[in-house]
Amino acid sequence: MVQILVYGAVISAIYAMLAVGFTLIFGVARILNLAHGSFYALGAYLVYTFTANANLPLWAACLIAVPLVGAFGVAVERILVRPLRRSMLAVLLITLAVALMVEQVLLLIFGSEARNVPSLVDATYHFAGVDISAQRLLALGGGVTILAGLWLFMQHTRLGSAILAVAQDAEAAQYMGIPSDRIYSLVMGLSAAIAAAAGILVAPFQTVIPSMGLLPLVKAFAIVVVGGLGSIPGSIVGALLLGYSETIVAFEVSIEWSQIVSVAAVFATLVIRPSGFFGKRASF
Amino acid sequence: MRRFLFPSLMAAVLAFAAGSADRALAQTKPIRIGVNTAIQAQVGRDAIDSVRMAIDEINAQGGVLGRKFEMIVADEGEAASEGPKLGIAAVNKLTSEDHVDVLIGGYDSGVTLGELPHIARAKTIFLGIGSASPAITQKVKDDYQRYKYIFRVNPINSAKQSQALLGFITGKLKGDLGYNKISIIGENAKWVQDMVPDIKKGAEAAGLEVPVAEFFDVQTADFSPLFAKVKDSGSQYLIVIISHGASDVFVKQWYDAKVPVPIGGIDVKGMDANFFDRVGGKSIAEVSANFVLRAPLTPMTVAWWDKFVSLNKRPPVYTAAGAYAAAYIYAEAVKRAGGTDTDAVVGELEKTDFVGPAGRVQFDATHDVKDGPGFVNELFVQWQANGERVVVWPKELATGKMINPPWLAQN
Repeated sequence: MVQILVYGAVISAIYAMLAVGFTLIFGVARILNLAHGSFYALGAYLVYTFTANANLPLWAACLIAVPLVGAFGVAVERILVRPLRRSMLAVLLITLAVALMVEQVLLLIFGSEARNVPSLVDATYHFAGVDISAQRLLALGGGVTILAGLWLFMQHTRLGSAILAVAQDAEAAQYMGIPSDRIYSLVMGLSAAIAAAAGILVAPFQTVIPSMGLLPLVKAFAIVVVGGLGSIPGSIVGALLLGYSETIVAFEVSIEWSQIVSVAAVFATLVIRPSGFFGKRASF
Repeated sequence: MRRFLFPSLMAAVLAFAAGSADRALAQTKPIRIGVNTAIQAQVGRDAIDSVRMAIDEINAQGGVLGRKFEMIVADEGEAASEGPKLGIAAVNKLTSEDHVDVLIGGYDSGVTLGELPHIARAKTIFLGIGSASPAITQKVKDDYQRYKYIFRVNPINSAKQSQALLGFITGKLKGDLGYNKISIIGENAKWVQDMVPDIKKGAEAAGLEVPVAEFFDVQTADFSPLFAKVKDSGSQYLIVIISHGASDVFVKQWYDAKVPVPIGGIDVKGMDANFFDRVGGKSIAEVSANFVLRAPLTPMTVAWWDKFVSLNKRPPVYTAAGAYAAAYIYAEAVKRAGGTDTDAVVGELEKTDFVGPAGRVQFDATHDVKDGPGFVNELFVQWQANGERVVVWPKELATGKMINPPWLAQN
């Protein structure tokens, strides 16, 4: 029972970090970003490069990698997405192209073998029959901190209010003097940085291969379908639901069946409530 | 009459001359080896480099029957990511467009099984060097005329690997270490599906308790629930069978959680010489079956290993040993057959007796490589301090003592 609680919390926090960025950029800019998993992969690979090739300390590598991926997200929005934003299909295709390009570039540079990103913390904790690495607990703490920080930023800063205003009505916000184009870029950067942070926190206990962005994208997609596309609270609820469902199935039934949970959840949501739990409400 | 006879005679002479020219061309044109493999993986790259190494050696000695060898490569991917379609396209290209004389390759059994009908239809010899499913050579047994072109040079099939693993379990774990309770987990892939029940049955017949015997998806990203289940079961050892799944994730999560159960079995990526570095040393004490190592397995092994390392700046994996042997086995069969006529070469391949880097290669009636003493063997190799590899089983080939992971008391 304690195992399910602890491991479920860790996996839910990771899922929430992935889903919140994915839903944020959709909620604000209506960009269905298929390159979201690439930001996650780039975070992990940049830390690997900075530590293994440039011999930087791990903390420094993390501090450099997150804003770099954020800047890459801004560049993708500014150069590739913005000219095509009027067509959702074109945006979908260009972000898919970015995802494929990133994967191929990683493959060319690093090859297909898994790379090792060292743990930020090495300890292992044993309590109430649970054996858990400190890195997983760090991922849980990091996830909660990032989500709390994002909430504070959105609710208590002028920039956050501007993002909320653009999300509610971009045209009205523009009339009020809010530069919606800049907001879109900022949100894309923020979304990319959160995905990169997730990649960095998870990489020490996950595989670091060029295609590592695909599964997180699928999970993020499943979560936002369940929670409601464009809703941050919906994403968090969806992440908790999927994280705990998968963990319960893995512990109580079989690990082999845990992967089908997200597919079943998406299917059930689309049949019963196509807009997701929070989809019909305001975005935030 | 003479007016008619002369042109006819001329035509006959020209036709004979053209036929002779064709035959002469056929006798001098290179013998083409098609390599169908997963080129993005180390098993694929090593297979390619090893075939190249063998070809260069054969060509340096003048080739075979005056003909040089050349290699054409096609990517067959992995079933876990692409299914068999890429492999089928690869063998169709190699056989119908490039007109190769022989195929050397295969890594993923699911892909190889998809390719077999196409290889058989093209009547092209296939020397398998990576896939382990017994279903591959079973085709030869079931329909010899159609599938006689299929041979497996390497590795020993998964049923035989099961027996070798069972030998490790009963001989080393129960016999030497006195364990009486183990768990078995394996990825849900074609080559493992029969292994897990067989090994469980064999272990139980030998008096071991097996409380957990489960499959996991090849895409599994979190092994914690399995580790918790194995720990709670009171198992003293965890047998794992994994090839296409994420070995690195499995090992890292086991090490990070300091799971109080040692691990070992068949970990195909764990065979890679740089695996220890790739997982930051977290494979310490993992035992992984292997087929080739820098050890005097045959008189050829050490020299072959060193040459491969000097040419490619990396140590080889098991497919390299098979690919090198396969190229030589084919070359010798062509020499004995006096040409590349497929049926004649198949007949000669059946008589193969070749000592390669991983052992002596002979084929049984189903064209599968023989195993056992004197032939290709499965070695159980443990990662130890500083990435050193030590053979811990079979007993007669052991090069060191088996250790426990650092967080457990040593045996």
